[in-house]
This record gives sequence, C-alpha cells and structure tokens, in this order.
Amino acid sequence: MRRIAALAALLAAVYLSGNGYVMNLFVVAALFTLPALGLSLLMGYTGQISLGHAAFVGLGAYGSAMLCKFLGINPWLAIALATAFATIAAWAIGWLVFRLRGHHLAMATLAFGIIIHVATVELRGLTGGQDGLSGIPALSLFGYAMNSDAAIFPFAWLVCILGIVLAGNLVHSPAGYAMRAVAESEAVAASIGIAPDRLKRRIMALSGFYAGLGGALYAHYLGYISPSPFDVGFSVRLLLMVALGGFAGIWGILFGVLFGVMTSELLKPFGNYDVVLYGVLLVVVMVWCPRGLLDGLAMLWRGVLRVWRGTEAAR
Amino acid sequence: MTGELTAFAQYIASGLVVGAIYGLIGVGFTTVYNVTGIVNFSQGDFASLGALGAIGLIGVGVPMPLALLIAVLASGVLGMLIERVAIRPVGNDVLRGIIITIGVGVTLQGVAVLVWGTDAQPLRAFSGDTPVNLGGVTVPPQAFWVVGTAALMMGLLWLFFTRTYVGKAFRACSVNAYAAGLMGIPTRAMRSFSFFVAGFTGAVAGVIVAPIALMQYDSGIFLGIKGFVACIIGGFGNPVGAALGGLLLGLLEALSSGYLSSGYKNAIAFVVLLAFLFVRPSGLLGELEEVKR
Repeated sequence: MRRIAALAALLAAVYLSGNGYVMNLFVVAALFTLPALGLSLLMGYTGQISLGHAAFVGLGAYGSAMLCKFLGINPWLAIALATAFATIAAWAIGWLVFRLRGHHLAMATLAFGIIIHVATVELRGLTGGQDGLSGIPALSLFGYAMNSDAAIFPFAWLVCILGIVLAGNLVHSPAGYAMRAVAESEAVAASIGIAPDRLKRRIMALSGFYAGLGGALYAHYLGYISPSPFDVGFSVRLLLMVALGGFAGIWGILFGVLFGVMTSELLKPFGNYDVVLYGVLLVVVMVWCPRGLLDGLAMLWRGVLRVWRGTEAAR
Repeated sequence: MTGELTAFAQYIASGLVVGAIYGLIGVGFTTVYNVTGIVNFSQGDFASLGALGAIGLIGVGVPMPLALLIAVLASGVLGMLIERVAIRPVGNDVLRGIIITIGVGVTLQGVAVLVWGTDAQPLRAFSGDTPVNLGGVTVPPQAFWVVGTAALMMGLLWLFFTRTYVGKAFRACSVNAYAAGLMGIPTRAMRSFSFFVAGFTGAVAGVIVAPIALMQYDSGIFLGIKGFVACIIGGFGNPVGAALGGLLLGLLEALSSGYLSSGYKNAIAFVVLLAFLFVRPSGLLGELEEVKR
C-alpha cells in the first residue's frame, strides 16, 4: 500500500509539473509495464521463457486498430475484443509450445514472434504493410477525448496500477505459490496436485492479456501503428526490462521498465549506443545480479560498506 | 531444357548454396551445445561480424586472403573471450544461458552498428563475377566457393572429432562432462575451445556468403535462427544432422520463394521449425529422449 502511495505521489508530481516530455515518457512506461508484467508472471514466477512477447502486444495493437478502422466499432469495445483475442491466442500458443522446454521453448516462441511480425509486414491489405495503419481513433470518456499525453496520463497509469495490484495479488495467492512450484520443479509440483501444463497455459493466457491490453492502448494512444515496434527487438527489450527488474518482483519490473525507457531516451542524442548498452546490461545483470539491477546495486553497496568498515576497524 | 525445369534447377542450385551456409552455422551451434549444454543465440552474429571484419580489413588495405584469415581467427578468439567473460559464470543454467547469449548478440550488433553503420557492406567475390553456365543454370562463381568451403570445413571438423585425440576428448565432454573431467580431460579448456570452433565456423560461413548476400550489422540474427532451424530439422546435437538440415532448409526456402512469394520466405522457415518442434522435436536424426526431458 505504501508503495502504491509513493508511486501515486511520484505520478502526481510528474502530472502537475506539466512537462510534456517527461509525461510522454511516463505514458510510454505505463504502456510498456503491462506487457513486462505479463512476461514477468510467465518467466519470473512460472519459469517459462518467451522470446515472442512482442507478438501479443502486436496482436492487441493491430487487432484493436483494425476493428476500429474496418468495422467502425467503439474503441473501448475494440480494446476489449483485441485484448480477448490476444489472450485466446496466447492460450492457444501455450497449448502448442508448452510441450517443449528450455531452448526448444525459447526458439518456438521466437519463431512465433517472427511469424506474427512477418504477417503484419506482408498482409498489406489488412495491416498496411510497412506503412502501417494510421487514423486510429483516440479513446474518449464522457466526451473527454484522450488525445494528448496529459489527457491519457491518468487513465494509462490507472490501468497500469490496477495491473500491478492484480498481479501482486495473484503472486501472493495459492495460485502464485503453485506458479513458483512449477518453476522450481514440475515433477514436484505435479506430485502435490498442481497440473503444471494447465497452469502454464493459464499464465500464458494471462500474460497475453497483459501484453494485448498494453498493445491495444498503445495503438489508440499513438493513433498510428507500424510493424517495426512489434519485432523481435521489442521482445528482447521486454526481456531486458524484466531482467533488470529481477524477473520475479512486481515492483522490480516497474523499475526495470522506467530504467529501460529512460536510458533509451537519454542515450538517443548519442546515436546508436543504446543497443550496446542494452546488450551489455543484459549480460551483466544475468551474470552478476540475477535478482535484478536494484538488488545487484544494493549488494554492491553493502559490499563497499563492509570493506569500508573493515578498513575503519583495522585502523 | 525446358523453362520450367531450368527454373527448378536454378532454385535447387541457389537452395544448396544457402543451405551450405545454414548447415555451417548449425554445426557451430552443435559444437557449443554438445560441450556446454547452452544454445548460443549469438551464433549468427559471428557470421556477420566475421564478414564485416574482413570487409573492414580489406578497406584499410590488407590483402584479401590475409584479411579473411585474420577475420575468421579473430572471431574464434572472440568466441573464446565471450565464453570466458559471460558464459562460464553461469555454468549449464539453460534460462540464463539463453538470455546471456541474446545479450551478447545484441552487444555485437550494437558494436557493428557503431563501427560499420547500418548500411549493407559489399565484399568482393573471391574469383570474379562472371556467372558460370551449367546446362542453362547460371551460377555465380562464389557459389562454388561457398559449397566447396562448407564441404571442406565440415569434412575437416568430422575428421577432427572422429580421428584425433583432442576430438575424442571433446566428444567425451559432450557425452558426460563430469566423467570426462574425472578422466583428466580439461573440461574448461574444451568449453573454451568449443566457442572457438563456433566463432571460427560462424565467421567462415559469413565470409564466404558475404559476396552473394550483402552483410549488415543485423544479418546475423536471421542467419543464426536459420542455423538453429537447421539443427532442429537434423536433430539437435548431431553435427551431421545440422549439415543435412541446413541443406534441406536452404532447398525448401529457395523453392518456396521461387514458387510462392519471396516475402514469406522467412516465415516459411519458422513454420517448418514449429512443425518439427511439435511433430518431431528430435529432428530427423536425433534422440527423442533428449528433448522430452
């Protein structure tokens, strides 16, 4: 509860500052947090790798955009339908891929991600190909159009915080313990009455729900989508954000996303250095701080303190 | 020959050339996987980095054969370095291994962008550009270099693994690293060496294909994934299977882009991958038990 209050205070400060640039970053962060949370539930808590999560975000975004553009239905209904579609797609993919483990699972999800990306590029009649889809209607609530960063900021974060709270509840429920049991050992989990495959499929579906919702909101927020934000690179960025957050830890994920969005923004003026930094960070975090960047830094700090106290004592 | 048949033969020829590359990269995957239990997701980046390195060296005036040699050897050393810095600390942890090698791949691509930019770089063909006419099928001379070098590399690796003492120690590590260690085989050195072989074969694949397909910083991603698909088709961990799978994948791609649409060429490789993963995850020549663990 304290954390939510602290986050709300930070968000209120950002909102009241009225700085359009910072607000834009925070809206993007909110919309990225949703898929990152989904990936964390799947990877961090249930121990299943997915390298194709950008595809679910893409399904949500394209689904909602196409429903609005071609059928002319209400954006809210379109978001609900597209999110439901991404959820069902994730469940179905889970049904297929969870007969595989380890490297094979990683490659199968990667292949799925690439197939969806190629489809969005090639199905020009539906998706507009590389040109993408433009003119996606913005969301509006009681006649209040959410067509600017400031207008969508409260709503995006409301959805995001709701997602955080729900995910937090889930991981502290019996189902959450079952997820961790499956991550530790499927054989043990099965022996105490947890059906690992069914659980994995459900978490995959939930993960697809988070990703699809994030994608659908993103489409209506930008009003324009093209295939490139939903490529393998985005899947890897999601992976990086979740890794920075320490995989299993709802609040760590939020930190990972904020860190990821900020660094890529700060490094933009320097050209292409952000990619190198992403790669190095991913390796460094995985090798030295598997519980996340914050945890790693805290450990480093404690180590420094200990050495410093040691030299004090020796004096 | 009739037009239909010539076109078919043309597709087969280009499929074999591409397939040889996939096979070579697949062999790199296999070598690392057998000894470390890790699938090196940055395998394809050795190919693009090797080719770009050779292009860079030629650009500063190094004679071509020397530049190629330096580039492939340097890629091998780079592989060893990566193993030492990033892979060794995590041992055989599958999940962390995957993510770390992805991170390594991203880093290598980022460095390639910084050094060579995002434009595709050309490499001069090894022996001219005059196409050779084989009964109506035109083949660039580089195609012979590709197929010949790939066949030579695979033959040498096969001889090395089956006929030499070090190769035997290497295979012992892939059967059971712990027991191999007890027998006095330096397993760490073998892990390191497997990454050298991976970097070396990857870079050779990149260098020989560069004159046909332009190389840019991210060419390695698809080469790597296709090499992995080759491994899956042939059966993971089986070097002969990887070579065979590469050829099959190359043929399939060439035929599908010839008769269907070239835009879907990449997706077709992945459809094949998924089909194999679900129907026969052990591949054509592999052991089923390994996968269902």
